[in-house]
Amino acid sequence: MPEPSAVTLTEESDERASTTAPEHQDVRTGRSPGQVAWARLKRDKVAIICSVIILFFIVVAIFAPLLVSLEAIDPITKAKADPGTVHTELVDFNGLPTVGASSAHWLGVEPRLGRDLFARWAYGARPSLIIGFVAAFASTVLGVVLGLVAGYLGGVADKIISWVIDFFLSLPILLLVLAIIPIMQKRLAAGGDLTPEETSTIRFWVLIVILVVFGWMGLARLVRGEVKSLREREFVQAARAIGVPTRSILFREILPNLVGPIIVSASIAVPAYITYEATLSYLGAGLVEPTASWGRTIADAQNLFATYPLWLWPSVIGLSLLVLALSLLGDSIRDAFDPTSRR
Amino acid sequence: MLTYILRRLALALSVILATLVSAFLLFFAGPSDPAQAMCPETRCNATRLAAITKSIGLDKPLTVQFFDYFKGLFFGRDFVYAGDTVHCGAPCLGFSFVTRRSVNEELFTRFPNTIVLALMAAVVFVTVGVTLGIIAAVRRGSATDRGLVGASQVLGSIPYYVLALLVALYPVILWNVLPQYSSISAGVGPYFMGMLAPALILGFVTSASYVRYTRNSMIETLSMDYIRTARSKGISERTVLYKHGFRAAMSPIATILGLDIAALLTGTLITEQIFGVDGIGRRGLAALKAFDLPVIMGTVLIGAVVVVFMNLVVDIAYSFIDPRVRLS
Repeated sequence: MPEPSAVTLTEESDERASTTAPEHQDVRTGRSPGQVAWARLKRDKVAIICSVIILFFIVVAIFAPLLVSLEAIDPITKAKADPGTVHTELVDFNGLPTVGASSAHWLGVEPRLGRDLFARWAYGARPSLIIGFVAAFASTVLGVVLGLVAGYLGGVADKIISWVIDFFLSLPILLLVLAIIPIMQKRLAAGGDLTPEETSTIRFWVLIVILVVFGWMGLARLVRGEVKSLREREFVQAARAIGVPTRSILFREILPNLVGPIIVSASIAVPAYITYEATLSYLGAGLVEPTASWGRTIADAQNLFATYPLWLWPSVIGLSLLVLALSLLGDSIRDAFDPTSRR
Repeated sequence: MLTYILRRLALALSVILATLVSAFLLFFAGPSDPAQAMCPETRCNATRLAAITKSIGLDKPLTVQFFDYFKGLFFGRDFVYAGDTVHCGAPCLGFSFVTRRSVNEELFTRFPNTIVLALMAAVVFVTVGVTLGIIAAVRRGSATDRGLVGASQVLGSIPYYVLALLVALYPVILWNVLPQYSSISAGVGPYFMGMLAPALILGFVTSASYVRYTRNSMIETLSMDYIRTARSKGISERTVLYKHGFRAAMSPIATILGLDIAALLTGTLITEQIFGVDGIGRRGLAALKAFDLPVIMGTVLIGAVVVVFMNLVVDIAYSFIDPRVRLS
């Protein structure tokens, strides 16, 4: 396990650490901080194990249809399993399944609706991963752009953006998000009846937009601070003196120095968004039927947890393992970029 | 110093005001129709809907509604329900659309439950987190240290609601190891016993980050020159650790603690929901499902005020400890 750094007490100390990274570079080989970090990451056992776990879930998500088709044909319904089809003939009048885990249903079937639980589980990996990566990417772009603008321009732009950051950070975000999602959903879905699939798709993108809108502030604040100190450095002043346009200064002089903190922040954001999506789905403001979602499954399955643990546990394990692997990988990436944790 | 405090105060007030305006616009101007939600489905008709809309003041223009709400917050306001006039004193948060009870009463009777939960959790995570963090720092590099850091990383990485749910389902409901939540009217003993499970899981999960904060802060402090000086003077290791090291290492922890308690007061929502604790977060969640706008507004407002106020206190306290903050 990598030795966690002594100065990662707050984000500010992370900032400090990463600005000093170029100076600590290995002069003999002349590698960039990114190359140094990559070399260290490759030697990190925890990072390797976590990457394998994450890769496993990505494979499950991509090849979900293929995996589900490996299940045998059900003797009662005479059909192949899929995540959507309801089979009420597989449950009794209490809603409890009449078939257990079998070659046709590796994890059994869902109480009440009789849908194949393995298919629900495999397809459930998709929204988690897509939301995690898309939201992390979008909020990273937003945070970097706003942070660059605030830090480099200063003045009124900086005052406004800083105030907005403070404002967003002071909001009771969970409660607001819970309130906004159904409102946005209604506004977008206004006029005309939508199929459950369409509603579900709208909800999916609403969720991503909301997560991005409320998730960019930390990185923007970090980038702003970095840019404010970088713009006073000699190489930036030299570029300005010889007449390099502002855009080139921002993206070719300043941004490359921020690669470390940006990658670290993005890698920590992915598991955070997946957790957020699952939590919202659990509280009833996240993904809706018929989209298969681990968070929703956990919410539905908790009522029958004692009699039907096969409903609850695969989603609990899938979600926990994926988020755990992503978080630990994020920690490893942070350590890899942190010059003070060098052994 | 005074200008710094005034500047921070102005920022805090502007944030609260902006929260109010945006929450108001979102909820009161949003497409969700609270009158529709209150209208009983089977016997709802246009006249009845109009009457409900009028009775809760939704027929007035938005600006008037906002002004009324604002006036109620600072001066109190009068409500007319079926001929009766009810006065609602400042800070008036209005009346619930669903229960018809005063929002102040609805929320302030539940707030103590949230505070008790947050404080009990705080006691757990401060004692557990700081103690384990010091142990890890003192035995830096040992198996104990690696185990503690690893365990705290794992605990802090698993989605919190999953852990809380598993604790609620297995030890509390299925195995009956810990009692379920009961309201204070059922007796003080059962009340606190029932708070134990939610407070313990909330505390333990939060303590994961405190183990790392304390460990890092302690290691940083112990590498300072004055600690070496203290050791070279022959002061016992115990005194060096606890009198010289611990005190200095704790000041950044105190800052984080202030912010975390504010976050806990608004962030116990999930815990309250899972363990059935009748707190302010759970009430807000129920209000959301019923489009009960005054209760939602009240919850958001209280949440924002708590967070902004604690931020302010921490910032000002910190500017006393560290004078450099004032200059930036």
